[in-house]
Amino acid sequence: MEEIIKKLPSFVNAVKKIKETIITNIVFIGQTPSPTFQEQHRTQQLMERLVETGVDECTTDGYQNPIGLIRGTSDKKPPIFAVTHLDTFFEKDIDHNFMVKKNSITGPGILDNAVGVGVLASLPEVFRILDIRFESDIVLAGVIQSIGKGNLRGIRHLLKTWETPVRGAVCIEGGELGRLNYATDGMKRCEIICDIMKGRDVVHKFKPNAILILHQIIEQILKMRLPQKPRSRVIIGKISGGYKHGLIACDATLGFEIQSDSDRMVKTIFKDINDIVDGISHETQVDLKLKTISTLSSSRLRYNHPLVKNTVEIMKTLNLKPVSTPSESELSIFLSRKIPAVTLGVTKGENYHLVNAKMEIDPMFTGIAQIVGVLMAIDKGVCDER
Amino acid sequence: MSGNWLIKNTFHYSNFMNIGRLVEEKRKKNLSISLCLPTLNEEKTIAKEIVIMKSELMTHYPLLDEIVVIDSGSSDNTREIARSYGADVYKASEILPDLEDFKGKGENLWKALYITKGDIIVYLDADITNIHHRFAYSLIGPLLITDHIKYTKAFYDRPIAIGKNKMRPTGGGRVTELVIRPLFSLYFPELTQILQPLSGEYAGFRDIFEKIPFPIGYGVETSMLLDIYEKWGLDVIAQVDLEKRVHRNQDTQSLGKMAFVILKTFWDRVEKLGLIKIKKQMLDTMIQYNLVENDYKSDIYTIKGLERPPMIDVPAYHEKFKKADHK
Repeated sequence: MEEIIKKLPSFVNAVKKIKETIITNIVFIGQTPSPTFQEQHRTQQLMERLVETGVDECTTDGYQNPIGLIRGTSDKKPPIFAVTHLDTFFEKDIDHNFMVKKNSITGPGILDNAVGVGVLASLPEVFRILDIRFESDIVLAGVIQSIGKGNLRGIRHLLKTWETPVRGAVCIEGGELGRLNYATDGMKRCEIICDIMKGRDVVHKFKPNAILILHQIIEQILKMRLPQKPRSRVIIGKISGGYKHGLIACDATLGFEIQSDSDRMVKTIFKDINDIVDGISHETQVDLKLKTISTLSSSRLRYNHPLVKNTVEIMKTLNLKPVSTPSESELSIFLSRKIPAVTLGVTKGENYHLVNAKMEIDPMFTGIAQIVGVLMAIDKGVCDER
Repeated sequence: MSGNWLIKNTFHYSNFMNIGRLVEEKRKKNLSISLCLPTLNEEKTIAKEIVIMKSELMTHYPLLDEIVVIDSGSSDNTREIARSYGADVYKASEILPDLEDFKGKGENLWKALYITKGDIIVYLDADITNIHHRFAYSLIGPLLITDHIKYTKAFYDRPIAIGKNKMRPTGGGRVTELVIRPLFSLYFPELTQILQPLSGEYAGFRDIFEKIPFPIGYGVETSMLLDIYEKWGLDVIAQVDLEKRVHRNQDTQSLGKMAFVILKTFWDRVEKLGLIKIKKQMLDTMIQYNLVENDYKSDIYTIKGLERPPMIDVPAYHEKFKKADHK
């Protein structure tokens, strides 16, 4: 491990030498629209870039996740995964052309997650310039249907159907450089759909308003007493509804997430919210549906797990201050399958989920060096203890 | 008019996707290739063009030998950004400083002949937001693969950016359809086969470019096409489908000014060729009117029909490239 730590600072400058290749990968991939469930073009683009950089094998799995493989020197060591999600929040008709400046790239989805995918595509070239050979095979996987309603389907399928053990994994996210996730909360992502027109046979004295019904539900959720231990919360994240200013809203939808470090608490809170919804539906005679979009179980590595400890050391060597919060991402699927994994951010930026999202170019080289360092640490065996 | 040219000399960029083959042809023919990007306040797009061309056509495949930016005196950070990504950057006014200084795209392209070293020169506009290396390699392709083609020109769909973040799938090319195509139909019907005569992306052999004059401004594409056609015929020209180029939408007034310059260049050329005799001198001013606070105010745009002579006639160039006297 000491050997890796010594080399790390020199990696940053070495990676800078292929700046144009990395930026080109980010731009070509990021400019290809990839809303969840419509990732085909970005999949194609990533595979073209992987082939171009000379991976040993490039294919898709049965779920159409694109995968590049760099053969290791040992056929006895299980593979190491580097994974990033391909889908974005932006629709196809948004102008996806990026603007590159001296130290920044601006455009929709650049941080979440064009830079992640661009860096993944550049890793074969990065290994080449750093003259690194791994013992394990390195599996470079872009996973589809990850965010929102995608519900991490791509990574779930990839790991479910992967036939050999996996040695360890690094999940790559565009931002923020310095993040180190090694735990995931239990989570339930839900929608409450209120549709006034569905109860047409009911004669209302006063016509109910779908938005106000959801307002009642929100009020009751806010009144719930959530424990501090296990740490739990309900995030009201999305709301939509109505047709125009002067008409009573006939439909409305509320999106929320229950998060807790206890899976049992997630279930309890969900049950309570279900009761609230049933109660209001009964009292107002309005059709209300509570739908679960996705669920995740809580899982974590210990802080003193060698992967976490070594990742912290790698980050500190590169003058990064690790910031750790629970994360709901590909990481949770690895951890739930008992595969040691961490999530790392590549660079710094701003306006994360806006069309003018902006990433900084210079910090990216440190972000890449840290990813390489952690992959090397896994290859040296930090995940091998049972 | 024979329609053969359209079939024989029209290519699709996918014909040249095997860049390794182009590199091999370049090596066999012992040629060097320069990419020139003329700029004026292009800080939003210049970096992406340089980065992609450098990565794909210099690092991965050694097709280009140099990337040169010739700048008209940008007031933004164009030159600094271009330099930071490794392009050779020049201010047009500092090239051949003994000559009178003019500003315009044509001036930059002309001066690029003096600065660049390549046997083949690729000219690309610097404002292409969806830049891809196909814009360069597909224009180079016919020049390397065939022996008779000396000049290639791009054509494409032209989605235009409307508002901040939306695209309209078709549009643009209004000056082509309303000005150039009717004029070509009147005087040079063969040239109507060139689908986008005003496209700002073209490539050719130095031997061709150095022997033709360059208008200073917008008229350069029109005059270049007419001069090459007149001197060497249509068969040395090819066009390549680049499929999609996203560009900024220009308002009608700006297009009017562009049309004015192109018309002036065109009439000048057809008169020199003896096809028509213009009895009255053409004026240098384009007059447009705007409604400003209930009054119509004129907006006068002056453009002199300035033109640089063939570069080969410039002694400094002659000396630099040690050309045998062509006269």
